[in-house]
Formats: sequence, structure tokens, C-alpha cells
Amino acid sequence: MAKIDRRDFLKIGAATTATAACPAFIDAMELQLGGKDFHQIRTYHARDRKPYLCTMCSYFDGGFTYAEAGEVLKTEGNPNHIATRGKFCSKGLASFFSASDPDRILNPLKRVGERGAGKWQEITWEEAIKEVAAKVSANLDNVDSIYLNEGGFKDSGVVRFMNTIGSHSIIRSRLQGIGTAPKQKALEQVTGAKFMLPDLEHTKYVLNFGANIMETAMPLAQRLTDGIVNNRLKLVTFDVRMSNTAGRSDEWLPVFPGSDGIIALAMANVIMQKGLADTNFISHWVNYTAEELAKKLEQFTPEMAEQASGVAAKTIINIAVEFAKSKPATVFSHNGLSWHKDGISSEEACLLLAAITGNIDNEGGVCLPRQFNVAEPQPAPKSTEKLTKTLYYRFPFEVKDGKRKVQILFNHMSNPVYSAPAASIWRELLQDAEQIPYIVDFSPFMSETSELADIILPDVVDVERDNVASSPTALWPWITMTIPNIEPLGKAQDVRMTLKQIIAAIDPSGAKGMQQYWDFSNTKQWVKDEITATEGTDKKTYKRLKSKGVWPNYGKIDPADRKILDKKGEPVLANYGTYKENGFATESGKMEFKSPSWNENRQLKDLKPNEFVFTTFKVAYQTLSMTSNLKYISEMYHSNPMWINKNIAKELGISDNSLVRVTTEVGYMVTKAFLTQGIHPQVVGMSTSVGRSAYGRVAQADPDAHTQFVRKGKEDPDIDDNLWWRDAGTNPNDIIPLAIDPESGIQTWNDIIVTISPAEPDDKYGDIQVDNAKHFAIYKQLLRRLKNEIS
Amino acid sequence: MQEEHEIRRSYGLQTAGSKGVAGRKRYAMVIDLRKCIGCRSCMVACKAEFGIPLGVWRTWVKEGDKGSYPNTRRIFMPRLCNHCDYPVCVRNCPTQATFKHKDGFVLQRYNRCIGCRTCMVACPYNARHLIPAKRTDKNLPTMVVDKCTFCIHRVKKGLVPACVQACVGGARIFGDMNDPNSEVAKLASKETLTVLKPELGTSPSVSYIGGDWELMDEPHSYTNRSKYMKEEFNTFKRNHKGDAFGDIVEGEPTMPQVGQNMVGFLNTIPHKAKGVYDAFVNFLFK
Amino acid sequence: MDESTITYNVFHHVAWGTTISVYFWLVGASAGSFVISSFGWVFGIKRYKPLALTASITAIFMLMLVPILLIWDLGKPLRFLYLMLPGYWHATGPMSWGTALIFSYPIAMIIYTYFVFKNNPFWAKTIGIISIILALSTHWYTGVVMELNPGRFLNHTALAPLLFLTGAFISGIGLLILILWVQNMIVAIKNRIEWTLIEEMAQYMMYGLVFDAFLLFLDFMQTLYGSNSEVMGHEVVLMGIFRFPYLWLEMVIGLIVPFFILVTPLKKFKAGIILAALLVAVGVYGMRVWWVMGGQYLQTFY
Ligand SMILES: Nc1nc2c(c(=O)[nH]1)N[C@H]1C(S)=C(S)[C@@H](COP(=O)(O)OP(=O)(O)OC[C@H]3O[C@@H](n4cnc5c(=O)[nH]c(N)nc54)[C@H](O)[C@@H]3O)O[C@H]1N2
Ligand SMILES: Nc1nc2c(c(=O)[nH]1)N[C@H]1C(S)=C(S)[C@@H](COP(=O)(O)OP(=O)(O)OC[C@H]3O[C@@H](n4cnc5c(=O)[nH]c(N)nc54)[C@H](O)[C@@H]3O)O[C@H]1N2
Ligand code: SF4
Ligand code: SF4
Ligand code: SF4
Ligand code: SF4
Ligand code: SF4
Ligand SMILES: [Mo]
Repeated sequence: MAKIDRRDFLKIGAATTATAACPAFIDAMELQLGGKDFHQIRTYHARDRKPYLCTMCSYFDGGFTYAEAGEVLKTEGNPNHIATRGKFCSKGLASFFSASDPDRILNPLKRVGERGAGKWQEITWEEAIKEVAAKVSANLDNVDSIYLNEGGFKDSGVVRFMNTIGSHSIIRSRLQGIGTAPKQKALEQVTGAKFMLPDLEHTKYVLNFGANIMETAMPLAQRLTDGIVNNRLKLVTFDVRMSNTAGRSDEWLPVFPGSDGIIALAMANVIMQKGLADTNFISHWVNYTAEELAKKLEQFTPEMAEQASGVAAKTIINIAVEFAKSKPATVFSHNGLSWHKDGISSEEACLLLAAITGNIDNEGGVCLPRQFNVAEPQPAPKSTEKLTKTLYYRFPFEVKDGKRKVQILFNHMSNPVYSAPAASIWRELLQDAEQIPYIVDFSPFMSETSELADIILPDVVDVERDNVASSPTALWPWITMTIPNIEPLGKAQDVRMTLKQIIAAIDPSGAKGMQQYWDFSNTKQWVKDEITATEGTDKKTYKRLKSKGVWPNYGKIDPADRKILDKKGEPVLANYGTYKENGFATESGKMEFKSPSWNENRQLKDLKPNEFVFTTFKVAYQTLSMTSNLKYISEMYHSNPMWINKNIAKELGISDNSLVRVTTEVGYMVTKAFLTQGIHPQVVGMSTSVGRSAYGRVAQADPDAHTQFVRKGKEDPDIDDNLWWRDAGTNPNDIIPLAIDPESGIQTWNDIIVTISPAEPDDKYGDIQVDNAKHFAIYKQLLRRLKNEIS
Repeated sequence: MQEEHEIRRSYGLQTAGSKGVAGRKRYAMVIDLRKCIGCRSCMVACKAEFGIPLGVWRTWVKEGDKGSYPNTRRIFMPRLCNHCDYPVCVRNCPTQATFKHKDGFVLQRYNRCIGCRTCMVACPYNARHLIPAKRTDKNLPTMVVDKCTFCIHRVKKGLVPACVQACVGGARIFGDMNDPNSEVAKLASKETLTVLKPELGTSPSVSYIGGDWELMDEPHSYTNRSKYMKEEFNTFKRNHKGDAFGDIVEGEPTMPQVGQNMVGFLNTIPHKAKGVYDAFVNFLFK
Repeated sequence: MDESTITYNVFHHVAWGTTISVYFWLVGASAGSFVISSFGWVFGIKRYKPLALTASITAIFMLMLVPILLIWDLGKPLRFLYLMLPGYWHATGPMSWGTALIFSYPIAMIIYTYFVFKNNPFWAKTIGIISIILALSTHWYTGVVMELNPGRFLNHTALAPLLFLTGAFISGIGLLILILWVQNMIVAIKNRIEWTLIEEMAQYMMYGLVFDAFLLFLDFMQTLYGSNSEVMGHEVVLMGIFRFPYLWLEMVIGLIVPFFILVTPLKKFKAGIILAALLVAVGVYGMRVWWVMGGQYLQTFY
């Protein structure tokens, strides 16, 4: 048969698509990672590129948005961003879909009918602003009855609004509790800095305590894989279950919940005993001498650690020795370690390991954060914020208890009815118009919390928002910014503009002195002002940010090995040992450890055969709420069967994928069991982010769940027709009782005890039974116990 | 010698394999499984790049656990079209809709594709899918077969494929195998590369470093699905209007299975009829 | 491997589903009836001449449904013409040959039927020979179209066309017997087909069943001693998901039971033969189902 060659069949094919119309040759050129973009078929013109700052999680990765014909069609990492190095995680890559999400709220909504009945009326912005401003004005003489629940990692103007009106009632749900509070407290105490950064790229050994780096810390994950292949590092992960990180570690050591601290201390003990410590570093930079430390650590024997954790003493010794002998080595820890009673001590124990081996702020060790502190536009109102420990958790209880009188609740970027512990209490409270007469939410999506609001003033979404931030995710400090590539869809409006209008309505003449802080023409101006106010920036910052998306410029990133190269093509080396000049930001200038300690959580120790410690964890593709209505994300992950050790499950008569009851002190839920070899026999686990009663058709896995408020921004026949999954998972937060650690103020999510049993005959998947009175009783108990400790 | 051999094995619209042929390119992807963290950024990047509808994928990441507590491990293995040097899909297509580009891409001409799915049956790697009747962007093709293009639209503009761009772990590496300085060529000479189903003689352009074949092979992936995934599988087969016209949902009572399958088939008729009608109206009036 | 669990949720469809199974069955039944029709006019077995017309009309009717089904099954039905346009026709695609056959075979059949109707032995024979070759080819090709997919453990065997042809032969006879039976009830007594003839056809059907069983046995041996996919495919797909069409429909209902009827005195009863014919025709559909979809099934999660 005659050979047909490529050119011939282009001729043959009368109708050719653009794919086929690609030239038959490709110019010899080195392929680049990104930085430009083209539509696959429609056009071959380059798309409009604008800098983009992803705020789907706290890492604030820098990238670009690409738009075509007034629509953002893509986001991707900025290949020359010092931290991102061109990489966005799946959430970041899908984040632009929230703009065109057909279930998005595009108009101010006013509740009609009962709270939570799902009946809404569209109103104009003028009406909305007028109404909210009137409510605020009416309460200005009792301004502390105006509350804000702020969930953003960074203030988007709402805290400033509270400062402006002078209310002290600010709840910072993420900063005060939910996330990394114990870690921050420990770091602040020991190093004076709030964060730490393991230099995974250059290290030889990683001790990882309860951090799921590969799923929750993407900027670190990419450095970890580079280290794994280029540096052949050894990764040892302590986790109660086989997370992706644990499953890809050289060694996964399943630990009994809450025992990481004692393991770390035992290792430190071994290192001191065997003379493997860096005594030079200790004597210069630690508040104890090596001898003192050795003595203090003596009590924490590997046997004791074995007893508490179930990890063999021999293994602990071996790892301790390996770790101390590997230079450099690093330690990382996260929620798995710190979401327990006494998490701060455990965090300190981790740091101690790094300190006694001299792995502090060295190449391949535990580095101090490098970051710009993005400042508020100036002049700024005086901060009224008093960081009240645990207020977020206590808030609904205290209101119910009559201890707090709330007139208005502003809710911003937070979804307590879904994400908070004792979520059912939040639901009950927010439903009760007597307790909280007026609820304002800024959410662009109908979240479980927004459903209970009285008025929704829809914010713009990430890709439509002017923004600027910095995060300590690289060895060099950086700033990144978003310049929206599109106009906000529908009537969505940036919160800052909404607040500006509210302020203008409250203080029309400026006589109350409020207007001066809201004197910006638009949010672009606001961002410029923020940059100007930030220490370390200069006139060129904004310009460079605008074109390159990141500032400062440290060099080009080699796409092959992801090293930063200077103009001559030589690698740029980071500046280590930053503490050496001025010491640590502590009083003594040294690392200030408290006396090493570890308190066993006795409660966890006397588990009955059907009792387990309950852990909830995050998965790589979802954030708590923001991703749940993104179709490509929820398609990949939409359900969270409960992990349980296979052998134990058999003993309890639970078979794979059968229904189980998960019972806590306050109630039970019915979910599916996932039998696995990858979890500690005394632990059961469920992921968060799914199990939604609101948020949209995709999140609820129901293509017919049309909500009447929806004014379709853009129809998506794909969702109507092709959404194939029907299991939307279950959310455990209703049955998770309050469990606050007094010292860090954290909810000790990982200390919850549950009873597991096969489901009763009448149980249906997703059933939840919860007794709010019991929630309340637990709160009362807690109060008594913590009376003196809680501020 | 080599060349002769290659030419002999290239039927129809396949340009001869270009591996090692001077003056030709052979674009290839090496997937370093040591670096894959299972983040699925690649899957989202690919779907976003092409607006791929729900229920079909150009690339996906296989995932599995092995071992018994506490000696366990998790395995990830991204999959995509192999851009075979000897693609069965091209050989079997009746309308020349799919062809092999001389630089190593196996491509699809939507305008020629009649949606007969012969190529899907032919592909030993299940790398192809039929685009459902409805998708987000109405201007893009539907009801024709689609597959990974190795992002030729990006490559020709000097960019790596979207999934490579997005790969957080840096596990996906793309380049010209024939260029000894390319990253892929270096890896090919330094590391042990393996391909999927080498015995079929398709000569894939996608190769792996560090695969766990026993876990990831075709029958094993199927039989060792967790129960939950079996349930998902059935949900998918029930609800996704894949227009495959009568897929079998497993685990249902076997007796009426063929009957049920017929009912399923009949159920797709109105759906399909609407599609045909729409296409007709489109063809005539738009 | 002691323990492993696969946990990703990307699934695929069986690319060729029910439509294709039905179509394979129809093509087969058509070819089978046509062979019977040709006995009289082509092979000169006089006593078969009376049923030639019915047989070939049955064959034509069956085959008329085929393009409809096939076109319906296309993602782009309106593009079915591409299959025949010179610029599109792809020589290496088995489907391309099939298209040529599917369109030429009914035409030849119609011409043949015309001459049978006109009682023109010469042309009936000449065209009949061509038609019979086309009939066999058409069905041979359906086997081939499945066979030439090296990635499909079940189908990639040279037995495929034979299995299809045998199935075609027996299901065609089965169907024809049913039709003749019905026809005999309607038409005038003098026009009725002799029952002995039908009994004879049933006999052929029985030989077909034996051969079919033999082929199935060969196929079974191959899977049993085959690659991982083949062994597992047999165990999981054929004996698992497709147990009903494979084991029950094809083997028991379509093979063992009718065989039993046809070798025992039961065949003396009219009802016995009718029942056997019915079961064979239905049983072959079972084969079409497992053969078409079973081969693809493992891969729908790969
Ligand atoms: N994909 C994704 N990434 C995110 C987020 C997200 O929602 N999604 N959110 C961001 C935010 S706000 C946060 S706070 C971080 C959280 O990041 P991480 O702390 O890494 O994530 P978690 O899933 O909360 O918990 C980590 C691990 O702790 C384990 N664990 C539970 N109990 C114990 C224990 O007693 N000991 C040990 N060693 N391990 C234990 C769990 O099994 C889990 O794998 O992630 C950030 N990144
Ligand atoms: N069981 C369990 N519970 C947990 C955790 C766990 O591991 N297990 N993790 C905890 C942790 S670490 C955290 S950080 C919290 C997170 O919990 P939250 O801080 O409550 O965060 P989300 O649930 O993501 O809710 C954010 C809300 O912001 C709104 N929103 C989304 N996009 C925008 C926008 O662009 N603008 C505005 N104005 N609003 C927007 C939406 O209504 C969304 O519901 O959850 C905690 N809850
Ligand atoms: S890790 Fe993902 S979600 Fe978090 S900032 Fe980066 S891209 Fe966004
Ligand atoms: S993997 Fe399949 S679709 Fe891709 S070239 Fe090979 S045979 Fe064709
Ligand atoms: S579906 Fe399209 S590409 Fe595939 S074989 Fe048929 S015509 Fe060719
Ligand atoms: S090369 Fe392009 S089309 Fe292929 S899987 Fe990657 S992103 Fe998708
Ligand atoms: S993006 Fe890269 S690291 Fe992530 S799953 Fe895909 S191949 Fe693996
Ligand atoms: Mo968090």
C-alpha cells in the first residue's frame, strides 16, 4: 500500500480542525514551562495575562490568569515566582471556575420568609447598603454588639471596617484558632518568629510529624520531590494514617494520636546521650547548656515513647541516630502533631530536635521565615482588635448563654456552620433571630452559613479581586499581587467597595471621622496603598508586580532543575544563618525553650474495643469550602468514607463500604466504612470538605438541586448533563464536640473519641443525630475546667 | 535496518516511528514516579486547558495502596495517551480521523471523526473517550472521539504540555527524545524506563521511572478496586450519559442483566435523538 | 501481592455497547438465513428451493436494520457518509472493509432475491454465489473487527471470525425455523414448507452447535493458559459480570439445552424443535453480548 504521509492527508481532509492545522513542523526550540498561553482551538492569539495571587489556601501562591474575550480561561503558576516556580495545585488551577460558577450569587439578596427557608429576594446595592448602614448606625452607641467573624487569612477590609466603627467584637476564626495556632505560639516563644520553613530541597533527612506535606503544603511538596530525587533524602513520616505523604515516605511510622511530642523528646534524649548533638550551636543559641538539656531530657526514654506511641524503642533510637548523623536534616510538623492537648509542648519538642542538631536556618535545615509584612493602607484606624483566644469556638455558646449580646453579625470568608466544631450549635444559633437579630454575609456562594443570613452582599471571587500578599514559603521574601483580568460577573462587588459605601452612608459628612480611612477610589488604589505602606518596597515594586507578577526579582528559574539562576546563569544561593547577626527575635536573642515536657492525654489511653480516636484530615484537591462547587475538583473528590483498620473492622463486624455509626458524646452520624491497611488500629479518620447541605449543585452532587436565588451567570450544560456522581459525602463537624486546649486555644480536633458500630437497620447514609444540649453541657464543663486559664 | 523495520510496521496513516531517526523529532514524556505526589494538578490542568466535560479524561492518576499494616505504601501512576509509534487506534480508524504526526504526536481530526469508537476499542490503553453531547463551550466539538494531544498547540508555541506545566512534583518531563541534550533523553540514558504493555508492540512515547506494574496492570486495577470505588464505578455507569449506549452495570442481579442492559439502551434513545435533532437543526439553520 | 487496594475514581465506558451487540446478532442471523436460502439455488439442493424466498427476505430484512443501528450508534450519525467517501476511506481500518460489505451485501441479496422471485436459475445462481461470499464476508468481518484489537484479551484470537460465523449459521437457522413455523401457520396448505425440511435444518443446527461448542472450548483453553488479562478476564469478566450472557444464555440456554433436545427423541416433537430454534437464536445473542462488551470491560477501569 502506498505510504501516505502527513502532508497528504491534510490535503485529503477537506475539513480540517485547528488541531490538524497545526504546522507539520515544530521549530527547534527549548520548551518553556509557561508564562504565556494560547487557546487550543478557537484562536492562536496569545491570551491576556495578568498577575494572580491564589488565596484558596494560606500559601498565597503567585501565578497568572489568562483571559480571552472577557473570560478567564485559565490560571497557572508563575514560572519565575520564587516560591511557586510555576506550580499551582489542583485547587489553584481550578480556582478561576468560581468566577463562572453557575451557582454563584450575583446580586445582593435579602431573606424573605423564615431564616434558612431558602427564600430570597434580589435587591439593589443601594437598597442593600442603605439597609445595612441603617442597622449599623442604629447600634453605633453600643458598637461592641456589632460582631465580625472573619475567616480570611488576610484582612480584606472587614477588620478595618470594625476598627473604623470602633467595635472590639472581632472574631478571627482562622487566626485565633482553627489553623496553626499552637505552632505559631511555640515558634513565637522559641524563635520570636511565627513560621518556620523546612529547607526540603537541600536536606538529606526529613522528620515529619503529622504534616501532610504532599497534600496540604504544595510549595513545600515540590521541594520535597526535588530533594527525594536529586538529593536522595530520607523521609520519615509520623502520622496516624497513611496520608499521601506517609504513603510516599521512606518510612511511615503509625503513631498513637498525640504521642508525637514524646517521640521527639525521646529522640532528643538519644541524641544527647549518644553525644550526637551540636553542642556548639546549643551553647551559642539555646537558652540551656547541653548538659542542662541532656539532664532535662533524660526522663524521656525511648521506652516511654514506645509505651505512649506504639513505635518500637529500637526504631526511635535508630531514627534519632540517623537523623542526627545526616547533615543537613530538617523537621516539620503540622496539625497532626499540634491539634492535641498540649500541642505547644510537642511543637517545641520538634524545634528542639532541630536545635540540638544545629539544623536551624542552615542550608537543608529548619529555616526562619522570610516575608514582607504587607501593611494596611495609611492612614489606618486604630486597631480595636484584641486577639481573644478561643472566642471563635466559644462564641455561639456564649451568645446562647446570654454572655454576649449580639445585634449584628458580619460574616466574611468563614463558614462555621460547616467548618467549626459543634457546627450544629452554630446552625441553631444563626437560625435564631432573637439571639442574633441581623446577619450579614459577604459570600459569593450560598454556603451553609450564608443560607442563614438575613442579607447577602456578594463579594467578588479570587480572580476578580485586586489583592496583594506575601507568605513565608520560600527562602527569599516575595510579594505577589492580583490584577483582575475580568470585570466582576453580574453585580458582584468587592467587599472593600461595599464597606466603603456603608461607611459613606453611616458617616456621610465625615464628621464621625470614619470616611478618612475609606478614601480610595477603587480597590486597585487600595492595593497600591498597601504596597506603598509595606516596609521594604519601593517605587518599582508595583510596576514590576504588574508585569512580572512577583517582586523582587532574584533571577530566572531553570525549568529543568528549578534552581534560581542569576544573569550569568549561576545558581543564586539563599542567605542562611540570618539569626547570626542580631540573634533570634526573643528576649535573650537565643532560642528560648520552656522546660521540655509532655503530658499524656489519659483520656485517649483507656479506649474500649469499639472506641477510637477520631481524626479529620484534608485532601490534596479540596479546601474546606471554597473548592466544593468547582466541578473538576468535586469530580475527583466528593465523598469521604470513614477509614478504619481492616483487621479491627473485621472484629467489629464491619465490612468494607458498609454503613457504620460514628458516635460521640453528643450524637452520631451514619457513614460508610473504608477498610484499609493504612491506618492505626485505634484511629478512625474522615476527610473534611465534603458532605454539603448547601453550596451548589456540584457540591451537593445533585444536578437538579436548583436554588431559586440563582441567577445564572453562565450556564454550564456540562453540569446539567454530565455530573455523574451522587455521593456527596458526610460532614462530621456536627458531632464533634468542643475540645479546647487552654494553652493554645486550639480545638483539639485530633483528640476526639468516637464509638464505632455497624449501622442499625433503619440507619440511612448521611443520617445525623445530634443533641445540642449535650454540646452545651460539654461547653459548660469545659468552662469550669478552664475557668482560670481562658482569658 | 532499524528504519526498514519501522517502516514495515507502520500501516496506513502512521508515519514511521521517529525514534532515533536523524532529522526527526520524537516528542516523548517521561513520568518519574518517584516524584509523583498524587496531587492531580495534571488532571485539572488538562481538563481546564481543553474544557473537558465531566466523566471523561485525557489524563488521570491511578492510585493504590499496597502492603499490610504497618508496612504499606501508596502508589501513584499518571496515565495518558502513549502517543504510540505504532498506534492501533490510527490503524483501525475507518475515516482517517486520527493520524500520527511525524514528530510523534497521535492526533485527532474532529471534523472527520464520525464517533464510531473503533479507535477506542482498538487502543490498548483506554486513552480515548467520546466527548459527551453537552459541554461547556458550545463551539467545541461534541460526540466525537477525543484524546490527549500531547498539547501540540502549546508545544508548537514553545511551551511544555499543560499537565507538565502544572505538575507539582515535577514528575512529568517532556521533550524531544531524539535530542541528546533534552531532559527526557538524559533520563532515558540514565534511568531505567519502562512502558505500559510493551508486549503489544505499540512502542509508547510515554515511559515511566519506577512503576509498580503488578499493582497497576489492567486486571489487577480492576479486581482490587476498593468496594467504594466499585460503587462509584456503578454510579458512573448509571448516570453518566456517555452515549456508549448500554454499558453494563456490574453487581446487579445477573438474571435480568441483559434485559436491564436493553432497557438502559432504550433509555438512551431519546437522549440521542435530541442530539441528532440538534445537530440537524444546527447543520441546516446555523 | 498480599494486600492491595485501588482507590482512584476515573472510569470509562464500554465503547461498543448494546447497539453493537444487537447489530452483530442481526448480521449473523441474516448471514445464517441467507446460507439456507442459497442451498436450493446455489448449491442445487432442490428441496430447499421453496424456502429460499422466505429465507432471503428474512436475511434482507435483518440486514436492513443493520445500517440503521450502526448509523444510530455513531457519535455523529449524519457523518456516516464519510465511511464511503474516497478521501476518507481508510484502507487499514477493518471497519472500512465492513462498510463496503454491509452496503454491497444487501444489494447483491436483493438482486439475487429478484432472480429467485423471477425463477431465473442462472442469474440466481451467479448472483447467489457472489451474495454468499458477501454474506460470509460480512459476518467474517464482524469477527475481524473485534479480533484486530490486540489490547482486548477476549477478542484477540484468530478464532473470532469462526466463532462469529458459526454463531451466525446456527442463529440464522434458528430464526428461520421460527419464521417458517409462523409462515406455515399463515399461508395456504399447499405453500407450506414440509416439516421434514425443518427437521433437517434443525439437524444442521445441531452440527453447528457441536462445532460451536468445540470453538468455545478452544477459546476457553486459550484463556485458561493465557496471559494475566486472559485468565483474569475469564474469571472476573466472563464468569463474573457476564456470567449470565456467557454461562447461562450462551452455554446453557443456547447450547446445552437445544443440543439435548436435538439429540433426544424430543426432536420428534414440533414443539421441541421450535423451542430449540428459539433457544439457539436467543443464546447466540448472549454470545454477542459477552463477546462485544466483555472484551472491553476490564479496561473500563484501567
Ligand atoms: N489541599 C489543602 N491544602 C491545605 C488546606 C486545605 O484545605 N486543603 N488548608 C490549609 C490550612 S488552613 C491548613 S491549617 C493546613 C493543614 O495542613 P496539615 O496539618 O498538613 O493537614 P491536616 O489534614 O489538618 O492534618 C495532617 C495530618 O495529621 C494526621 N494526624 C492526626 N492525628 C495525628 C497525630 O496524633 N499524630 C500525627 N503524627 N499525625 C496525626 C492526619 O492523619 C493528617 O494526615 O493545610 C493548608 N493547606
Ligand atoms: N473536622 C474538621 N474541621 C475543620 C478542619 C479539619 O481538619 N477537620 N480544618 C479546620 C481548618 S484548619 C480551617 S482553616 C477551617 C476553615 O474553615 P473556614 O474558615 O470556615 O473556611 P471555609 O469553610 O473554606 O469557608 C470559607 C467561606 O468563605 C466564603 N467565600 C468563598 N470565597 C469567597 C470570596 O471570594 N469572598 C468572600 N467574601 N467569601 C468567600 C464561602 O462562603 C466559604 O464558605 O476549617 C476547620 N474545620
Ligand atoms: S497551594 Fe494551591 S490553593 Fe494553596 S495557594 Fe497554592 S495554588 Fe492556591
Ligand atoms: S495510547 Fe491508544 S490512543 Fe494513544 S496512540 Fe496509543 S493506541 Fe492510540
Ligand atoms: S471514532 Fe473517530 S477517530 Fe475513532 S475510529 Fe471512529 S472515526 Fe476514527
Ligand atoms: S499532554 Fe496535554 S492533552 Fe495530554 S494529558 Fe497532558 S495536558 Fe492533557
Ligand atoms: S501533577 Fe505531577 S505530581 Fe501531581 S499527580 Fe500529576 S504527575 Fe503526579
Ligand atoms: Mo487551617
